[in-house]
Amino acid sequence: MGVIMETGPAVGGLMRRFLASLRDGVGFDILLVGAAMVFLIAMAGLPLIYNVLMSFQQVDMFTLGSLIRPWAGFQNYIDVVREPAFWLVAKNTFIFVFFSMGGQFVIGFALALFFAQNFPGASTIRGLFLVSWVMPGLVVGAIWSWILAGDFGVLNTILKGLGIIQSNVFWKSDPAFSIWAVVIANIWLGLAFNMLLLSVGLAAIPRDLYEAAELDGANALQRFWTITLPMMRSTIGAVLSLGLIGTLQQFDLFPAITEGGPANTSTVAQYWSWQMSFQLYDFAKGATISVMMLVLVLIASIIYVRSTRHEVRG
Amino acid sequence: MKLNAYGLLAAVSLGAMSLATPAFAQVTLKIWSIDGVDRVGIADTFSKEFDEANEDIVVEYRAIPFDDLVNETLRAFATGNAPDIVSFDNPDFALFSSRGAMLDITDRVANSSVIKAENYFQGPLNSVSWDGKLFGIPKYTDTIGVFYNKDLFAEAGITEPPKTWAQLTEYAEKLTDPANNVYGATFSARAGEEGTFQFLPIIQMSGGGYDNVATDGAAEVLDLWKKMVDNGWASKDVLSLGQWDSTGTFNSGNAAMAISGPWEVDRMVEDAKFDWGVALLPTITDGGERSSALGGFDWGIMSTTKHPDEAFRALEYFASQDNRIFEEFGSIPARSDIELPVTGVEKKDAALKVFLEQLQYAQPRGPHPEWQKISKAIYDAMQQALTGQMSSKDALAQAQTTINGILGK
Amino acid sequence: MTRPYVPWLLVVVALALAAVYLFPLYWMYVTSFKSGSEIFANPPTFWPREIDLSIYPNVWTRRTMHVFLWNSTLIAAGVTAITVIFGTGCAYVLARYRNVWLDIGLFSVLMLQVLPASVMVTPLFVAFNQFGLLNYPRTAVVLAAAAKAMPFFVVLVRATFMTVPRELEEAALVDGNSRVGAFFSIVLPLARNGILVCAILTFMSSFGEYIYSKSIIQAPALQPASVGLSGFLGPNSTDWNAIMAYSAIYVTPILAVFVLLQRRIVSGLTSGALK
Repeated sequence: MGVIMETGPAVGGLMRRFLASLRDGVGFDILLVGAAMVFLIAMAGLPLIYNVLMSFQQVDMFTLGSLIRPWAGFQNYIDVVREPAFWLVAKNTFIFVFFSMGGQFVIGFALALFFAQNFPGASTIRGLFLVSWVMPGLVVGAIWSWILAGDFGVLNTILKGLGIIQSNVFWKSDPAFSIWAVVIANIWLGLAFNMLLLSVGLAAIPRDLYEAAELDGANALQRFWTITLPMMRSTIGAVLSLGLIGTLQQFDLFPAITEGGPANTSTVAQYWSWQMSFQLYDFAKGATISVMMLVLVLIASIIYVRSTRHEVRG
Repeated sequence: MKLNAYGLLAAVSLGAMSLATPAFAQVTLKIWSIDGVDRVGIADTFSKEFDEANEDIVVEYRAIPFDDLVNETLRAFATGNAPDIVSFDNPDFALFSSRGAMLDITDRVANSSVIKAENYFQGPLNSVSWDGKLFGIPKYTDTIGVFYNKDLFAEAGITEPPKTWAQLTEYAEKLTDPANNVYGATFSARAGEEGTFQFLPIIQMSGGGYDNVATDGAAEVLDLWKKMVDNGWASKDVLSLGQWDSTGTFNSGNAAMAISGPWEVDRMVEDAKFDWGVALLPTITDGGERSSALGGFDWGIMSTTKHPDEAFRALEYFASQDNRIFEEFGSIPARSDIELPVTGVEKKDAALKVFLEQLQYAQPRGPHPEWQKISKAIYDAMQQALTGQMSSKDALAQAQTTINGILGK
Repeated sequence: MTRPYVPWLLVVVALALAAVYLFPLYWMYVTSFKSGSEIFANPPTFWPREIDLSIYPNVWTRRTMHVFLWNSTLIAAGVTAITVIFGTGCAYVLARYRNVWLDIGLFSVLMLQVLPASVMVTPLFVAFNQFGLLNYPRTAVVLAAAAKAMPFFVVLVRATFMTVPRELEEAALVDGNSRVGAFFSIVLPLARNGILVCAILTFMSSFGEYIYSKSIIQAPALQPASVGLSGFLGPNSTDWNAIMAYSAIYVTPILAVFVLLQRRIVSGLTSGALK
């Protein structure tokens, strides 16, 4: 304080007001959000800019460390779209994202509803379903790679035992199945996250709403459509948008299970981007693909932010 | 006054240092390789020995997993943190040497009494050469051949290992026994370098090379491979299995033949509960041109090193220990002047003999600075043909177009 | 008459579902017990022919796993601390107001998370190198990974703050508390459960942090267990049962902690602050 006084009453007053606002006004809010934002911008925003920049430049191993590089305009984008694998990868990415998220969400929701029933041990058993949350992707990939193997894989043995299939399905090597092999593993991996968040959302719905509806003669399905879904809109928004981001970042499973093969039939955008940068050492194309993926996440973020509009504050 | 005292102190200590140079002026060498991540290997062992034997040099050794080595080095090179010495897989070497990231050691080798270029096999030596200059030395080498289960061969009434690819396919059919979960053959046609490693030799046998992949012979053999996969004489999973896992099915008795290399031998001696042998990779026509894959790693000094002399001394030390690498680490030296010791394990010695013969036909991948892209074009084509998305001819023709683009033809 | 049986039927169904779901975990343990060739046996064996436990002490000592696990713990703890410190306040403000600027804020929190870690690592490496942070590699990894963990934390904790009635905070302000005072004495304690649970979840997921660690941390003595695992994947050999044993050693402690805490985790999140 002494220092402030010396610099004159006007500045001192300003400073005091600033400090007071920090303690007791908007300044406090700005400080809280600002600290997080500065941190995020430094650690995530700058790398983002680096990648966007790189997608418009010519990059080689000698210029990886600098920002100023020969300008390439949209050439990298044109080159990526012209790659023979481009449309196949786009299709695979869509399948992977849509069905992973769909599977995680539907099964996660079903489990969340199931475990919201009142039966002995419900919460303990539900806890077990969070296991995939703590499993590192690397480990999950290795395990599923074994389970899905065609000849010595246990999934085929089980399915044959149950009479569902007659001969082995080559999950990892058949172009008709390879992307589904990764989808299956990814659904398993993401189940915990979906079920957890949806359980939280379910628990937040006041019981009396259901009781009132039951008195009005609404059946279970009607109650689900008129109470559960609308009340969970913000939770569902969060689950889906975080789920999309998570799915688009899912990487560990690909090198472990299919390596994008056979013949790129299980290559998705994020794996392709990594492969361009770190296996083919074409850093500009790798960055270009990752920037293209940004557009998808942009959509997800908008959905999420919009979904929070309907939130009811406790 | 104070300043003077410090100045005096500095002068004294400088003097002391210059007097005691051998003890104090230590040079630090950073050495990177994949060895020592999981078990003791060539690079970590020799680096440590070199460190201990040289008072004036401190070696900082770093083991990096195989998949990350090139990326880590690229990143370090771009940010000025590059190691002094690094050991790359041979097809990756040209990426660095062609761009001036490796130190030209042609003259040093010419003057060296330890390292003599003429002692090395031609294939491995090509991988460290670029533009007529020498940028490194081979560390060890390997190749692939056909492992075959002699017990199953006897049961099927086959006496000799296959000589041509058509014969291999024919045997595979005979040896296949679905009731006992036995495939006739297994190999690795994976979406990665291993896939190219196994398929490129066939292109080379047919008179082609990495710059000329669309040959009739290659398409013919690829059709045979596809026939094996389609008919269940080889597992469909050859498309996703690496060589180690593919040969694992051979060891467990689930495949009668396996294409792989000498690194399998130790595990096979231990795990395989049957009699087995190794044969040269088949040819396209009987007595036709031979080829095989060339594996193995190379040593090189990075051009950014501040201590080229000490780094070269380290390479000389490594080369001087080449006679130990087979016995201690199971790797084959890439040199013609080293006689490999007999281990006394009958199957292992027999296998080694075949692989040494096979090495004479081994041809390098590249060298080309954009090898990884060429390789992807090759394994993509192989996979497209094997999965029936394209005919072998069309797939190879498409790969040729991609490769022409890379080569700037 | 059937009424009392219904809950027990549900228990059976629940256990069956859990068994299906946990199968991959079971498979990890079983595979680690098998011999090198039994792994490839066709058809696979559901129970190893002979259980070989020696692989566990082998892997433990050969890979100096106590060092790896300790580093994983340190990194996860650091990530959690930074995430909680920065994320809690951010989530609180994002829950408290509703205007365009905060919509943009929430939006950017998500957007900043979009790039996969694999493409973020090169620019971060370059930047850390500039600032000399590469000399403190674990700190560098903690900073980078915290930025990755933050959005998830903010979204979840924001939901927790939404359950704290604004009237309580306003009452505290009327009683003469400052904003800071109200935040620390009223809002935080009420949201404590949710924050704690999200912190635990953050800790658990950053325990597996891999991509940043493998590039930024060069000295083996400072690397976390995930990087140690990748060392098994060699060019020509993959030691599968050792990988599974390593994975088992790696995930078992965190699973154990998790099973002990899971009731609190689920109830902490599902009960909300005041319900």
